[in-house]
Amino acid sequence: MKDNTRTLLFAGVLGLICALALAGVSQFTAPYRQANEKAEEVRNYLAALGVPGREGMSSQELLDVFEENVRVEQLGEQTVYRYIPGSGSQAEAVAVAVPFSGVGLWGPIRGVLALGPNFTTIRGIRFFDQQETPGLGGEIGAEWFQNQFVGKRIVSAGGDPGFKVNKPGTPEDVNSVDGITGATMTSSRVEAILDNLAKELLKEKQSDVQ
Amino acid sequence: MSSDSQSRQSTALPVSRVKYIGILQDGVYRTNPVTYQVLGICIFLAVTTKVENALVMGFALIFVTAMSNLLVSLLRNTIPRRIRMIAEVAIIATFVIFFDQFLKAFYWDMSKQLGPYVALIITNCIVMGRAEAFAIQNPPLPSLVDGIANGIGYALILVLIALFRELIGFGTILGYTVLSPAWYERNILFIMAPGAFFVAGFLIWVLNFINPPKPAEVGK
Repeated sequence: MKDNTRTLLFAGVLGLICALALAGVSQFTAPYRQANEKAEEVRNYLAALGVPGREGMSSQELLDVFEENVRVEQLGEQTVYRYIPGSGSQAEAVAVAVPFSGVGLWGPIRGVLALGPNFTTIRGIRFFDQQETPGLGGEIGAEWFQNQFVGKRIVSAGGDPGFKVNKPGTPEDVNSVDGITGATMTSSRVEAILDNLAKELLKEKQSDVQ
Repeated sequence: MSSDSQSRQSTALPVSRVKYIGILQDGVYRTNPVTYQVLGICIFLAVTTKVENALVMGFALIFVTAMSNLLVSLLRNTIPRRIRMIAEVAIIATFVIFFDQFLKAFYWDMSKQLGPYVALIITNCIVMGRAEAFAIQNPPLPSLVDGIANGIGYALILVLIALFRELIGFGTILGYTVLSPAWYERNILFIMAPGAFFVAGFLIWVLNFINPPKPAEVGK
């Protein structure tokens, strides 16, 4: 009986100490982590939109550039980030970015797709939050994969909205890119996310025109 | 923890006979956690695709094994026997989360690369194995050395395997191109999990050839 009490007491005290230590560390790192996460998101929006910026800008500088050049609007249910250089001196947006998210292989995939002002041609794409297998599916976060998208369209040659991530070696289409060898699951999930986004966007755009 | 029986053999030395050098040699080389004890395989499949990742992971392992060994050893006379494993895991988990948070706060890019694998150190058999096989029955200082030694042993093998895999798979080392893509066809197999098994198997063979297990241990 005495033994049990001691065991319980030990477990309780150890648990409490561990919890307190972790809470402390979490408190301490929280501002850094949040700043990193926020800056990461902004950096990706700017990169996808093609907003010029220096390498290694601090979080605050990134936010400033973002505030200055990007305007957030609503298009139906879709949030749209319009890139208007120099905050509204020109009325026309140079590019628009739409965030997307979906289910990856190990966890959610979040990213941003930047398009020309007519919502058809891809200017850039960034997958900034993903937990795919490092070295395989994780390569969706790599330059070479993301660069493939530039200049592609989210509308097929026949005019239907949609996007494909094909097996490497498949003949290219105006609205397809090569997937990643060894990461078929991730590739097909990315395809589903983007295909869905393309269709959603067209729908919103049409209802907006009406 | 199927490997406990293997790693237990080098434990419970009387303090007077503890030679720190010996502990270091054991951890790093003689009873290397990967090539000799074959522990912690799950993680190295994933993080040895690039040398950079392997280095950070190796460093994480050194930190976590050292600190958890030290703490478990300090508490070894206080921890009730029946919940000692739970206590060990709690301590290990705490240090792993420390490290993960540290990466997220100050090395954001690396933290993104390693994804969930830092947190998975909690389930790495080496950390638990050393706590259970060494720290729980040895004084703090030898335990700390043992933790560091095994961490280094693991890190060395990680980096070695990553060297092969990154070179053959990507043609680069630490991101620098060594085998130019102009004439070198990347071998994707080495980036995938089977590649890690090939390299690790080969490495274990070579190291066991140079340093064969002692006959008395073979008969076990």
